[in-house]
This record gives sequence, C-alpha cells and structure tokens, in this order.
Amino acid sequence: MPRLTRRSLLLAGLAAAGTAAAFRPAAARPLDDVAARGRLRIAVYRDFPPFSYRENGKMTGIDVELGRILAERLGVAADIMEHPPGETVSDDLRLAVWKGYVTGGEPADVMMHIPYDKEFALRNGEAVLFAPYQREVYALTRNPARLPNGMIATLPEGEKIGVELDTVPDFFLLGAFGGRLRSSIAHFPSVTKAIEAMRTGDVAAVLAPLSEIEGALGPQKADYPTATMTLPGMPQSGWDIGMAVKENSRDLAYALGDVITAMDADGSLDALFARYGVSRHQPAANTE
Amino acid sequence: MMRFLSVFTRTTVSAAALTAALAAGTALAAGPTKDDLLGDTKSTGDVLTYGMGYQGQRYSPLKALTPDTVSKLVPVWSFSFGGEKQRGQEAQPLVVDGVMYVTGSYSRLYAVDARTGHKLWQYDHRLPDGIMPCCDVINRGAAVYGDKVYFGTLDARLVALNKDTGKVIWSKKTAEYKDGYSMTAAPLIVDGKIITGNSGGEFGIVGMVEARDAETGELLWQRPTIEGNKGTLGGKESTVTGVVNASWPGDMWKTGGGATWLGGTYDPETNLLYFGTGNPAPWNSHLRPGDNLYTSSTLAIDPNTGEIKWHYQTTPHDGWDFDGVNELVSFDLRMDGKVIKAGAKADRNGFFYVLDRTNGQLINASPFVSKITWAKSIDLKTGRPVYNDDNRPGAPTEGGEGKGKSVFSAPAFLGAKNWMPMAYNPDTELFYVPANEWGMDIWNEPITYKKGAAYLGAGFTIKPLYDDYIGALRAIDPKTGKIAWEYKNPAPLWGGVLTTAGNLVFTGTPEGFLKAFDAKTGKEVWKFQTGSGVVGCPITWEMDGEQYVAVVSGWGGAVPLWGGDVAKLVKDINQGGSLWVFKLPKA
Repeated sequence: MPRLTRRSLLLAGLAAAGTAAAFRPAAARPLDDVAARGRLRIAVYRDFPPFSYRENGKMTGIDVELGRILAERLGVAADIMEHPPGETVSDDLRLAVWKGYVTGGEPADVMMHIPYDKEFALRNGEAVLFAPYQREVYALTRNPARLPNGMIATLPEGEKIGVELDTVPDFFLLGAFGGRLRSSIAHFPSVTKAIEAMRTGDVAAVLAPLSEIEGALGPQKADYPTATMTLPGMPQSGWDIGMAVKENSRDLAYALGDVITAMDADGSLDALFARYGVSRHQPAANTE
Repeated sequence: MMRFLSVFTRTTVSAAALTAALAAGTALAAGPTKDDLLGDTKSTGDVLTYGMGYQGQRYSPLKALTPDTVSKLVPVWSFSFGGEKQRGQEAQPLVVDGVMYVTGSYSRLYAVDARTGHKLWQYDHRLPDGIMPCCDVINRGAAVYGDKVYFGTLDARLVALNKDTGKVIWSKKTAEYKDGYSMTAAPLIVDGKIITGNSGGEFGIVGMVEARDAETGELLWQRPTIEGNKGTLGGKESTVTGVVNASWPGDMWKTGGGATWLGGTYDPETNLLYFGTGNPAPWNSHLRPGDNLYTSSTLAIDPNTGEIKWHYQTTPHDGWDFDGVNELVSFDLRMDGKVIKAGAKADRNGFFYVLDRTNGQLINASPFVSKITWAKSIDLKTGRPVYNDDNRPGAPTEGGEGKGKSVFSAPAFLGAKNWMPMAYNPDTELFYVPANEWGMDIWNEPITYKKGAAYLGAGFTIKPLYDDYIGALRAIDPKTGKIAWEYKNPAPLWGGVLTTAGNLVFTGTPEGFLKAFDAKTGKEVWKFQTGSGVVGCPITWEMDGEQYVAVVSGWGGAVPLWGGDVAKLVKDINQGGSLWVFKLPKA
C-alpha cells in the first residue's frame, strides 16, 4: 500500500478551493474555534447500526466511537449530533455540515460516514471530503436451508429476498431478470429489520451493504452464509466511506485525517470495526 | 441546547388588544357554526374557509371594488410576523367577527384585530430538532369552527386553540415527523369533522386522508390512498382501498406514495370530499409497472365513512414526478342549455381537466401551458393520456456506468401549476389559473449517495421555456379549454388567485406586487409593492361598509430551494413575513 499523503486525500470542488485561497485569511480559524470551544461537534446518521445508533438510550456504534476518539486526540469533548438522513448525501452535507437546518440548530464541525468520491466531491464544493476509513460493498446473506446455492436467480417460488426500501439493492432486484423477481422482494425500513425477518423465517435472504449485514447478524454470522455481490447494470458495487467538514475547515480535516492515518497504521481502526463484528476493508483510495 | 426558534411553545396575548376587542364586542362571540361555514361563499362580512367557500372557487360577491374603483384601493395597516425567520408565507388568512387568523412560516399562528392591525395573540409551535420539511417551512392557513381555530404544524401535529385566547385545547400527533412527515395544508372542517391529508416523506409513505372529531381531536376514520392498504372507521379496520396488487407489483403498495399534502375541497351539493394525491414511489416508473392507483389522482370521498366514491387519475404510471394534488374546484358548467355539476383541476402535468363531479367522468381536458412533452393529448373516451413513449425517463439499468439518457420534459416536476390555488368566477364563467412555463432535463444519475451508500437518483435541471417570462396567469373557459387572456410575469407565479363580482382578479408575484386585473380582459388595473415576494392567497371581505383586501407577503416556498436555473433568477428577492390589509375607503 502506498503511503498515505493527507493532502492527496482531501477532495473538494476546485472552484470553491479557488475562492477560499483568494478570500480566506491565513489564520486556521475552524480548528482554532474547535480548540477554543473545547468541543468537536460530530454528525452521525440517526438509527444507523452498526455505525451510529442508540443502545439503552446511549449513542454507540463504529462512527460514534470513532468520533469520540477523534475528539479525544484533539483534546476536546465530543458532542455527538444525530442527523436524520435526507433524500441524498448532498442534502445531508448542506444541512449538517455547511449551511444548517432550516428550522435552526447548529451544524456539525465534522460529519462521519460520507462517501469519498471525486466526482461527488466536485458537485459538493461547499464541503471537503477526506480521510476514507472503510470500503463498503454489497453482499447477499442467506438462510442456507432456503436458498442453498446463493444464486438469486434460483430463488424458489414463494421465497422472498429482503431489502431496505429505496436503496440500490431494491432497484437492482426490481429490475433484475426483466423484473421477474419483482413479486419476490420484501421491503423493509432498515437492513436491521430485513435481517430480523430472515431470522424469523419471513425472508430467505437479504441483499444489503456488507457492514450493515455483519453488524445486524452479530454472533450469528456463522449461521448465515454471506458473500459479496456485484450488481450488474448498477453503477457502483463498492464505494469508500470517509468524513466531511465545511469548505473553510481544511485545517480541521488535516488534523482529523492524521488521526485516521495513525489508527490505520497501528491497527486500532481494524480493532474498532472488529468490536462490532464488522470486517474492515481498506478504502480503494488508500490502495490505488 | 440552544435553539434559534421557539424554545417554548407559547402563546402571547396582548391584554390591551384583547380588552379593546372585548369592548368592541367582537372577539368573544360563539364562533362560526356548521351553517356559517356552509354559507361562507355568500357571506361577505367574513372569510371562514380556505378557498373562500367549501367548493374552493375563491370568488367573492362583493362589487364595490371594480376595474374603475380599484385605483382608490389603499393600504390600511401591515403586520409583521416578527422573529428572525422571515421566509415562505403561503397562507390564506381567515376573517371571523372582526378578527383575522393567519398562519406564518415555522408553524406560527396569529390573531389580529382586522380593523387596527393590533395583535390579539400569537402562538409559536415548539418545533423539535431534526425536522426536515422537504419543501420549505411553510403553512397554508388555519381553519375555524365554533370557539376553536385549528392548524397543522411542521412536526405533523394538528393543534386546536381557543380562538379568543390562543390557548391550546388539544394537540394531536398525526404522523411521525422523524419519518419525514409534516402538515402544511389548511385543514378542512365539514359537519363537525376536521379533515386533513398528510405531507412530507418522499419515500416509504402511503398517502392518507383522515377525519377527526373537531371538538376532541379523536380519530373518526382514515383512508389510505394506495390500493391494497386498509382504512379505518370508528377505531376498527374498514375496507381495503382498491384491490391488492391490481396496479402495483409485489409489496410496493405498502410504500407507494400518493401523499395528500395539499389537503382537499368539499362540495355540499354532492356531499363529497375531493382530495388530490401525490406521485408514486420510487420515482423511476420502470420499476413499478401498472397504473399505480391511486397516485396522481383526484379521489372523491364520503365525509361520513371515508369510503372512496370515485377516482380520476390524471397521470397513470407517473414517471415525471408530476403528482396530482392540485385542488378540484366545484362549479356549475352551463353547456347546451344544461347545468352540469362539474369540477375543474389544473394539473401539474399541464392539462386542465373538467370532470363530472358526481361520478368522476371526464368531460374535457386541454393544455393550459404552451409545451407538454409527456403526452400528446387526453383521450376523452377513455379518460387516459396518449403518452409520448419516447419521452419517458429511462429505466435505471439503461444508465450503466455513465449518466443515463437525458430527456427534456415539460412541464418541469414543479408543475405547470404547483400548489397555488386557482379561482373561478361564475359571472365571467372563467377560471383564473396561475401557471408556469418551464421544462427540465431529467436523467438517471449514477453518482449519487443516500445515507452514506451508493444510490441511483434522478438528476435534473429546470429550464425556463421563454426568455421574458415563466409565470402566466391565464383565464380559461371551461367549456372550450380556450385561453381568454393571459398575463405574463417574469418570475414563476407561486401565489393563489382571488376573483370578485366586481369583475376583478387578484394575485401576487415574487417580485413583491399584489396585482389586480380586469376579469374579462386581463388588463392590469392596480398593483402594490409589499416589500417581499407574494406567494400567499389574497382574500376580500366587507367591514363597516367598506371592501377590504388582504394578502401575506414573504418570499420562499419550493422555488428557491429546488428551482435550479430558476432559483438564480429569483435570488435577489428579499425574504419577509407580513400581513398587508387594504381597503376601498367610503367616498
């Protein structure tokens, strides 16, 4: 793996960067602000296990713990903010990172779990995307008694595959094989609910992002064969996950990116994912 | 945690103003009865319903103001909604016993002395963190019945307040705001029942019409708009809407869309509620073969039971996000010596429909904008559109690696007419429709993300069709579908219309004007600059022998949020929040 150079891992709109260079004072304001206030406000997705969710009322999950470590390494308190997912991540960036909510409330200093993608970054110039820490892929998990060979095309009559509503696996299955599977799809509001339905026997299999499947299966991982899957006809079968700050907070991004680089190097990032039963995959951006 | 807005739910009452109102013997009357609401169209001293009458004609029999006298129409007072949040005022005010009830954006409700502009009380609804209204923080108005005034909130609650004190009597959660629901339409009160639709939540929802006891807020019936789902009546399951899987594959009907976000109208003659329904989900029509009933439709519903009596679907198998929520306005269609109980709807899809409102049969359908790319016409025999199949946005799998096939589609998804209500004048026998001339490029966008995951969304760019205008106020003859006159406006029209027996038509513009036109000729005869964009609904009434006109001013709504190139066109319009009242002084 080539050595990570933190500057190469900052993605932001070129136009926005030009503006920033021209008009922004040299002082490293946003990082100073965070230090002066003594807290880092961290946005995470609401109800999003295994990354950010509540257990007995308390916030927990991979993104939440990672956020707390980032704050600790900066020497400030962590202020976790739950963000209800918008229609797209661009909406999330606007609301949670660079503009704020229409009904008021303070945006976050950094948001976790933001896809790290060059073209996407160009379209969201008001935010800086940085520090990819996971590679996400789709996977099919199945009840081996109900779908013995793992081939979706051989799904027996009457059996169902669970998906989270309005996701790529949903669109893929609705359109796959000329729509033949359309009546065999069971829609759920979350991957957790879909896995629950597999446990209770309502669906034979679930198609979803691998991390979410692993997190939901937990110790039962061994009972349900899970294999990654490419989805023909769909634009992307894998994507990197990183973070985002506002466009004027590059120095904060560098500081946080250094923490991620160090955690990657010393194995603590892998260990964090492992605590939630999730296998960590090196982001493509780190291996290219 | 510090919040910008409404730290406490609070009602502030001006004691002096209340005393003054008491002295005048106005404020503490018993309030409008069922018969008063039924008579709102004819009674000129008040405005008791959204639509200025149940049928939604927005017509007043008042005649003092005419194209000749309107030049003497002058402002009497203006009232600021206050606070930092100045945007998106889409309400229609009510006038009851000399008191105006008007809602502001961010779920605020005000009672104001109609003679003086003095505030009697103000209610600021406490909004929770993390509400994400899809289409700005607007509210379209209140309802009044007996001693209570009602309105819906951005966190999907229905609130009943004492109309004289502003004290909350009950507050009911209608849906889960965390799932993206909100309530922005004005409620409808029929025979002691408060009837509402649902709004928000672009995915995973099912449209719903609900009736509650106006006295207690207790739920009486629910009618889901998507076939396959069960309604309720008196706390028990009632009937299934339509037939399961008749027009939807698999379990998609459980999350099929069809939100009733604009509320509905009522026709006392047929005793039917008319509710429009939103677009189906997911947006890509190739994934849900079938008509997808009852999305993008008008439903006629029995107010006592919630049963659907008829439906008419304006955009079967909607693939353009047109949605069909536009209001059905009841009117008498005089044709061939007969009077037909008709209803008209100017749909977002660009066609102006005239239906028999007793049974939903199509009588006529004609374009009310200059360019419609999705359909050639509406077949009057079948009532169905003759599609331009080439112009349906592509299947997601056709996109592959790159950007999918781009289709130019007109009208744009914001609609040939969006939420803003039209008016009907029984004297001129013309409808006055606030239309917009715009189209959009739409394509499958492979590089999008949702909740941290790869996603397949729609990319779109909204484009004006003409250099010199987008908005067009059009007078339409429902007998022929012909356009009698039009007024062109540079910015898109986003406010409601009012018409009067004095041969006038009023509407507002984003440029800040309230304007009046000759109802027969379309000649502009009056205008007044309100200081911010007008996207609300004007009203008129008579008080102390003088004719009054009122409108809220405050730019906002969906255009600046979604409008693409159009948003650039209107970016210099300042936001605001105020109620303007005008009158024609006695000679």
